[in-house]
Amino acid sequence: MNLYNIIFYLFAAITLVSAFFVVTTRNVIYSAFNLLLTFFGVAGIYVLLGADFLAVVQIIVYVGGILILLLFGVMLTNKIVNVQIRTGATQILPATIAVGAFSGILISLLVNTEWKKVGTALPGASTTANLGMLMMNEYILIFELLGILLLVALIGAATIARK
Amino acid sequence: MTIPIEYYLILSGFMFLTGVVGVLTRRNAIVVFMSIELMLNSADLTFVAFSSYLGNSIGQVFVFFVMTVAAAEAAVGLAIIIAVFRNKKTVNIDEINILKW
Amino acid sequence: MELKYLFNSLPYIKPELILAASLVIIVVADLIITKKKELLHYIALAGIIAAGYFVLEQFSMNAFAFSSSGNKGMLTVDSMGAFFKGLVLTASFFVFLFSFSSNEINESRSKLGEYYALLFGMILGMFFMISASDLILVYVSMELVSLSSYVLAGITKQSLRNSEASLKYLIYGAVSSGIMLFGISLIFGITGSTNLYEINYILRSPETNRVILLLAGLLVFTGIGYKISAAPFHFWTPDVYEGAPITITAFLSVASKSAGFVLLIRFIKVAFIQNSLNGYWQLLPAVDWKTILLVLSILTMTLGNFAALWQDNLKRMLAYSSIAHAGYMLAAMAVLSNQGLIAILIYFAIYLFMNLGAFFVVMLISNKIGSEEIDNFDGLGYASPFLGVSFAIFLVSLTGLPPTAGFIGKLYIFIALVDAKMFLLSVIMVLNSVVSLYYYMRVLKHLFLRKAEGAPIELKVSFPNAVVLLMLVIPVLVLGLYFTPLVEFAKNSISVLGF
Repeated sequence: MNLYNIIFYLFAAITLVSAFFVVTTRNVIYSAFNLLLTFFGVAGIYVLLGADFLAVVQIIVYVGGILILLLFGVMLTNKIVNVQIRTGATQILPATIAVGAFSGILISLLVNTEWKKVGTALPGASTTANLGMLMMNEYILIFELLGILLLVALIGAATIARK
Repeated sequence: MTIPIEYYLILSGFMFLTGVVGVLTRRNAIVVFMSIELMLNSADLTFVAFSSYLGNSIGQVFVFFVMTVAAAEAAVGLAIIIAVFRNKKTVNIDEINILKW
Repeated sequence: MELKYLFNSLPYIKPELILAASLVIIVVADLIITKKKELLHYIALAGIIAAGYFVLEQFSMNAFAFSSSGNKGMLTVDSMGAFFKGLVLTASFFVFLFSFSSNEINESRSKLGEYYALLFGMILGMFFMISASDLILVYVSMELVSLSSYVLAGITKQSLRNSEASLKYLIYGAVSSGIMLFGISLIFGITGSTNLYEINYILRSPETNRVILLLAGLLVFTGIGYKISAAPFHFWTPDVYEGAPITITAFLSVASKSAGFVLLIRFIKVAFIQNSLNGYWQLLPAVDWKTILLVLSILTMTLGNFAALWQDNLKRMLAYSSIAHAGYMLAAMAVLSNQGLIAILIYFAIYLFMNLGAFFVVMLISNKIGSEEIDNFDGLGYASPFLGVSFAIFLVSLTGLPPTAGFIGKLYIFIALVDAKMFLLSVIMVLNSVVSLYYYMRVLKHLFLRKAEGAPIELKVSFPNAVVLLMLVIPVLVLGLYFTPLVEFAKNSISVLGF
């Protein structure tokens, strides 16, 4: 068992365990903090897969942005009139059966499929330059479209939140 | 890299399923939203794993785009949740029922 | 990719550029204009007309733009795309006209700028959905459409009903797009590409694993099925249609659905095609799309029609009826032939007029009486015979009875089904139409055969609204009798296909 394996198992465990708690904890605040761990775990896996740029973006966008937003949401929707933070769960039995069947299919397919492997052609060096080239050349259209999407989201969020 | 790709896929598969369970069972809109983020993250992880094993950076570009979209979606989503809360004083999906489900 | 190549691609996205520019102009104009917000209506209409001019140019074009690698590009600019872009623009044109007199929109005049900015964002997203041939673009454009429609569903001041609609829309939408994204990631894993043409090229090699492809295809279909509100993914439709402002409901029921259908057509026709024989598509054996579409179409139309029977809210009833119509069009899709495709195009063109018309009448009446409940419509057919008669025409057309255009739409789907020897499906479709007769006629019964309670209500249609209504009624009547041009037009739109 070499170092890579240990790191992989460590981060995989962090990710899965905290993801499990996100879904099962009754306290919304705990869910949010477990989500933080999940995001970090995924970022660690990205590094392991040679996607250093994405790992950093993952932390900046998910932890620094989305998670903070979610925490704001939790605070704003709980503190105002002191509604209970604890939340219930419903439909556990049918959900378990459906998801159980689906997970069996999904996991067995993922394991049994012969995935194409070209080897690990990604260089050990940083991928940032490569990604930048792709984004500014082949995918420039989508890059620009995302600008519009962010503008629309900005207008939309302001419209809805404003009285 | 000594770890076979299947390991990463199983990891992301389980993450995806955890997200699905959360969406199906939890009734707090914010927790449902967190579960959706889990699903998006697992799809991202699949992309990065494939992109790494196929030696193809397109997957990573896609993940970058997905992150942007997820951030935009979170902003709009939270604004909507807060708007609902302001009117109804609850974020519990079962109690949000003027319209029949 | 050189800069020169990029500039060469720009002419292909002229309509999209106009739409993006209109979005920005509206945002700026909203800041400058403080008093006369009505001007925004006209700016928006001008933007639509300008974009329409450039869409007309795209007919008979057949090109790829923004090539990612190799010769096939990220965008497919073809006649079918232009046809659907034209449909989306026509629908937006009418919806903008509706917005002039919609009470819901006028009550929240301070948000008019945002309303139009978001609508333009949505139209832009639909345009890219229509011409996308790369899964990344598919995902991003679908999210653009979704994000703007979540907000639009909750934009007006009737806050509670609205914001509830947008929350439900958001949750269902985010889940289905997450599922779709996972499907796309699996497709990327199988093929190593996100371009539909390259995916097709790789899938043709025999060693691609079939079961995982079936799963991935179904996951992607979840996202598309949500957009067209096909049966297992339709749960959001009635709630959102009832809760959203009626102009948005009308727009979603036509434009959003048509963009989703183009996506479905391209996804199946481009990525899974093996070859085409006498106009019948032979798909790769990996995924049995025919059976999937067949089952879903039966499920969708039956469920939509039977659920509509019990509805007392007209918007909700029209929501279920729009689910049923999606089912009819899925039936035409299940034929998997060019003829089925032509039937879809014809049906959509007709569906646009009759469905928008029905929503417009409901809007005009509920503007006056402040309700969409069917019991409050009693006897209103006599309060304004013009409204009553045009509503009757739209409903007869939605049922699919001659001599209205709805009959022609159904007829072409029927012909395509019979030609493909799918008799069972065609019988089910006819039976469904019979069921739909009941709930459409129930509305007419309330309008004309019931006595109004209380004081009679004055219903006056203003002159501009009468013109808009005529613009919707006349096509429904004319296309019912003189439909050859439309059929020829649809055929031409298919003949120059970007694939």
